[in-house]
This record gives sequence, structure tokens and C-alpha cells, in this order.
Amino acid sequence: MRESIVRMEKAAKTFATPEGQTITALGGIDLDVRRNEFLTLLGPSGCGKTTLLQAISGFVELDSGRILIDGEDMTDRPPYRRPVNTVFQNYALFPHMSVGENTGYALEVAGIGRQDRARRVAEALRMVGLEGLEGRKPRQLSGGQQQRVALARAIIARPKLLLLDEPLSALDKNLRQAMQIELKTLQHELGISFIFVTHDQQEALTMSDRVAVLSGGRIQQLDTPRAIYDKPRNSFVATFVGASNLFEGEAAAGRLVTTDGIAISHGEQGSTGAATALIRPEQFFLADPGQAGPILDVDLEQIVFVGSTFELFGRTATGRRVIAEIPAMRRGLVGEIEQSRRARLSYDPSAVHLIPAEAA
Amino acid sequence: MKIFASLARGSLVAYTALFFAFIYIPLVLIAVYSFNANPINMMTWSGFTTDWYAQVLGYKTAITGDAFYVESTDQLVQAVFNSLKIAASTTLIATVFGTSIAIALYHFDFFGRRFYRVVLFMPMLMPDIVLGIALLIFFVNSGINLGLKTIIIGQCTFLTSYVFIVVSARLSGMDRTLEHASADLGANEWTTFRKVVFPQLLPGILGGALLAFIISMDDLVITYFIAGVDVTTLPMFIFAMLRRGIKPEINAIAVMMLSFSFVIASLGLYLRSRQK
Ligand SMILES: Nc1ncnc2c1ncn2[C@@H]1O[C@H](COP(=O)(O)OP(=O)(O)O)[C@@H](O)[C@H]1O
Ligand SMILES: [Mg+2]
Repeated sequence: MRESIVRMEKAAKTFATPEGQTITALGGIDLDVRRNEFLTLLGPSGCGKTTLLQAISGFVELDSGRILIDGEDMTDRPPYRRPVNTVFQNYALFPHMSVGENTGYALEVAGIGRQDRARRVAEALRMVGLEGLEGRKPRQLSGGQQQRVALARAIIARPKLLLLDEPLSALDKNLRQAMQIELKTLQHELGISFIFVTHDQQEALTMSDRVAVLSGGRIQQLDTPRAIYDKPRNSFVATFVGASNLFEGEAAAGRLVTTDGIAISHGEQGSTGAATALIRPEQFFLADPGQAGPILDVDLEQIVFVGSTFELFGRTATGRRVIAEIPAMRRGLVGEIEQSRRARLSYDPSAVHLIPAEAA
Repeated sequence: MKIFASLARGSLVAYTALFFAFIYIPLVLIAVYSFNANPINMMTWSGFTTDWYAQVLGYKTAITGDAFYVESTDQLVQAVFNSLKIAASTTLIATVFGTSIAIALYHFDFFGRRFYRVVLFMPMLMPDIVLGIALLIFFVNSGINLGLKTIIIGQCTFLTSYVFIVVSARLSGMDRTLEHASADLGANEWTTFRKVVFPQLLPGILGGALLAFIISMDDLVITYFIAGVDVTTLPMFIFAMLRRGIKPEINAIAVMMLSFSFVIASLGLYLRSRQK
């Protein structure tokens, strides 16, 4: 069995705008999606996520490059002959068909008999928690239920790969979180690969085996959620995924000095030259009086209580913005700094990540 | 403030009432006068009668002499049949053509596509009288004898536009991703058209067909030019009657036509609501 279910080689696509410019939607993408993998495409709106999905499903014709699914070249195959199914962003349920007809559409088109179909429709609807709703029309369902019908319809023909284009973006927060877990479970049960598109970094981190961060039609980084978060390869990934404090400067062994004279200690002994140091807000803690080790002094502009943490917004003496996140259990300390409007932030140098300048 | 609000409200109600009164009072008057027994002055009420209807439909009545203007019920019936025959044929042809063109212009991008669109709007914008004369000249020059055939061809030229516009409107309101969804689930273009596009288009097609039917039944000016001497349609028949003065039978005919249109329109609305 091949290790990769989808392979993209130098996939490129540009669009011409009415104003006469060209937009690079896919800038020569190489991508391998593994069997049984939950892969998320994460990126800001307009970065090419939908185009990438549609290149796989066949609705976008590549300018150059090729696409293999399960080892077979799909580049010139029409969408209806590709072994992938899609859950569309707006669900795209057929309004004139019942839930049962919608769900069984792929089987009907494939010429599978009525009885077989009814059985498999019932099974698919059960998997998404909608048993017995065959007779309803899509408009008689809530948004969440419509979402599930779209899901049932897309998995009923057992595709080798399921593509999901921002499927949860229209749902409210609670439903969304419930669906995130259900999708994971479903993917596990089905044993097929999912390519999931989102612009929500939290969603990407919680659901995925691997995340591909896209920007400007290129994959900026393809890695596990932890690697994406802890070791972003460039400052785009660092700022897009999670909150971040970035310090550009000149790195020497164990130390990076910014142009405005701030020294950041770091644990990456080998790195020298121009680089950017990344410190996540939660890596800061409030230093005890007289504590040794690296310290960053900031003037506080705002302290925001968000439940589990306090968020501190401050500036260094040279005016550089710093965000820190302090666990709410350290209320006493926060009370003190609220008085003084100053904080001494300390951090563990080994947690500081250095991004080499050529990548940033 | 309150006074202003209720004043605004009051005038809105009055405006709405006036608006509908303006449209519907004449129709109500026709219906009322169609039951007026006064043969000389139909604006003066002299008693209730259904004689005008009976008269139009060819039954013997007490009314005699000058009051009787439908010389021959046979002629009227013939005119009605002509109109129905023409309307049925033109509706069928215009619906097939209009729908196909709308679908073609929606789906395919070809050279001159915009130009086609404009060309299709033209017959609707052209004054009836110009279109009528143009068609007449065309038929006479090409040696086609005027009659039912020329009326059907002539009416199709503009009815196709109406169907095209109604169906196009429906198409442009359609969700393109549904076709993607269908293809994604394994349906080729033809299956997608049959199972997804056409069922959604059907209310638009039926709407366009009904519109074409009613306009065809109603058309006087263009038909008048291209009808020749042997064929008379219902609107032509009524027009001929009118030239000799407004008489009560006309009210009766008008009410019957109105009822017919009303039934067709209701049918259309019903079909629409079921499709939704
Ligand atoms: N059919 C098209 N014609 C022109 N430009 C397009 C078309 N489809 C996408 N684009 C452009 O390509 C870029 C990527 O689009 P898309 O893949 O939809 O982004 P995303 O899904 O990440 O928001 C955008 O700038 C978009 O405007
Ligand atoms: Mg998109």
C-alpha cells in the first residue's frame, strides 16, 4: 500500500483579475497527504485554500504540475470521475430533494439499486446522527443538521479522500466545537484521509494530524500542530498561528540583540546572524523580586481578565509591544502590578525559538 | 411625534387603498355592468340579467334588435378557437426555444454571447406597431400566405424573448455550487442537468410558458398586421365589435376572458408555491 493518498507536484494556478492583474492562487505546490491522515489547510482568506481543494476535486484546472490520487494521475480527469468527495462551505444540498435523496445521490448516479441505497442511506444518516430524517427537505433542517446531511452525502460512496471546505465556519461556537470532535471520530471510523480547510487556527491545532499553513498560494510550513506552534519556520506562521512576541535582531551564541538594544536569551547555541526570536505570551511569567535570569521590563497599558488567564498588554522602554499571559491563579501578583503599572517578565531561554532571517 | 407617526401611517393606508382601487374598480365595474339589463345605456342600472352571457354563448334571449351586437356566436367561437390554437402552438415553440437559449447562454461562453443577449431583448423593446409592420413586409416579400401560420411565426419572435427572460432570471438565481456538488458526487453533465438543473428550472419554465400563453391570447396589434383576411382572433373580434360602439355583450366577454386569465394565473401561482 502506498504511503501517500494524494500527491501534488508543482501545482500552479493563476487567475486574471478584471483589472488585468494576475493572482497566484497556487504557486507551485508540492504536497503529500498520507493515508488516514487528518490534514488541515490553514491560511487567511484568499490564500488559495479553496483553489487547492478544487484542484484535487477537479473544478480547477492547473496551469502546470500534476495531481495523483492513490497513485493514479488525475490531472486531466473530470470531477465526476475522481474518487474524492467534498463537503461544501455552504453545504450545497439539493433543495428539491429530500434528505434521503440528497444522501443517496452518489449511489443513485452510480446506478445502485433502490433497496441497497435505502439501507446505505440509513446507515450514513445514522453515522452522522440523523437517523429517520430521510423524508425531510433540507430547508426543514437547522444549519447543524444540514451540515450533517452534507457530510453523510459526501461519505456514502466511500471516497478515498474527503475534502471539507470551511465546513464549520457557519455554525455557532458550541455546535462548532461539538462538530469538531464528531468529525475527528468520523474520520477515525471511516479510516480515510480528510483534507480540512479553515482560517481558524484554533480549529486547525485541535483537529489535525498535520497542518499546512498557506499564504500567497504557497505552503509556508507543513508540520504537526505542535511543531507549527512551537517551531514556526517563519514570522508569518508565527504570527498567524497563536499570539506572538517577535524580536528581530542579531543572534550570537545564547543571545539575540535587537536594534533597539533589547537582549533576549535563547537556548539555540549554534545560531548566529540575523534572526527573529519568538516568545509566546504564555511563556512569560511574573518574576519574583530579586530573581536572576533573563528579565524583560515593561510598562503596562492594559490588563484583561479572560477567565483562565490575565492578558497583559505592555511596552518596553523603547516602545516595543509585548503581550504576556499570566495564569489567573496568580491573582495576588496581578493585583500588585495593577498598582505599579509595571511588570518584570521573566522567561525560560530554552523555550525561546529562533527564526533565521532568510526564512522570515 | 406620535401624531406624525399615525399621520404617516394613515396616509400610507389611504395611498395603498387608492392604488388598488384605481386598478380594480374598472374591472369590478365591467363585471357589474355585464349583469345590467339596460340595453341602451349600460352605465344606468335597470335590473339584473344574465342575458348578455347567454347571448354571447348563443342562446336565445329576450333581447332583440339593435341591442344585439354579436352577429354570430359561431364567429366568436371560431375566434376563441383560433386564439387558443395560436396560443398553444406559440407557447410550445417559444418555451422550447426560449429555455434552450437561456440555458445555452448561461452555460457556454462563446463568441458574441453578449450580443445574443441584446438581440433577444430587442423584440420586447420594439414598438408593437413597428414589429407588426416589419413582420408583414417580411411575410409579403417572402411570399408566405398570411394566416394562422404567419401569426404563430410572428408571435414566436417576441414570445421567445419573454420566456428567455423569465428562465434566465431563474437561472441566474440558481446556486452554481449545486452543479459542482452533483459532479463531485459522480454525475456527468447530462445527469447533472436532468437531476439538478432542470427540476430547479421547471417553475421558471412553467412561468415563462404561462406568460407567453397569456400574452399570445391578448396580442392585438402585431397579430392584426399579420393575420391576413381569413383568420380572426379573439382580441381582433372584440376590437371589431368595439368599432361599432361599446355594448353590453363586450362586458360579458371581458368578464369571461378575465376569469380565464385568473384561472391560468392562479394555476401558475399554485405550481410555483408547490415547487418552492
Ligand atoms: N475563478 C476565479 N477567478 C479569479 N480569481 C479567483 C478565482 N478563484 C479564486 N480567485 C482568486 O484566487 C485567490 C485564492 O482564492 P481561494 O482559493 O478561493 O482562497 P481561499 O479559499 O483561501 O479564501 C483569491 O485571491 C481569489 O480572489
Ligand atoms: Mg475559500
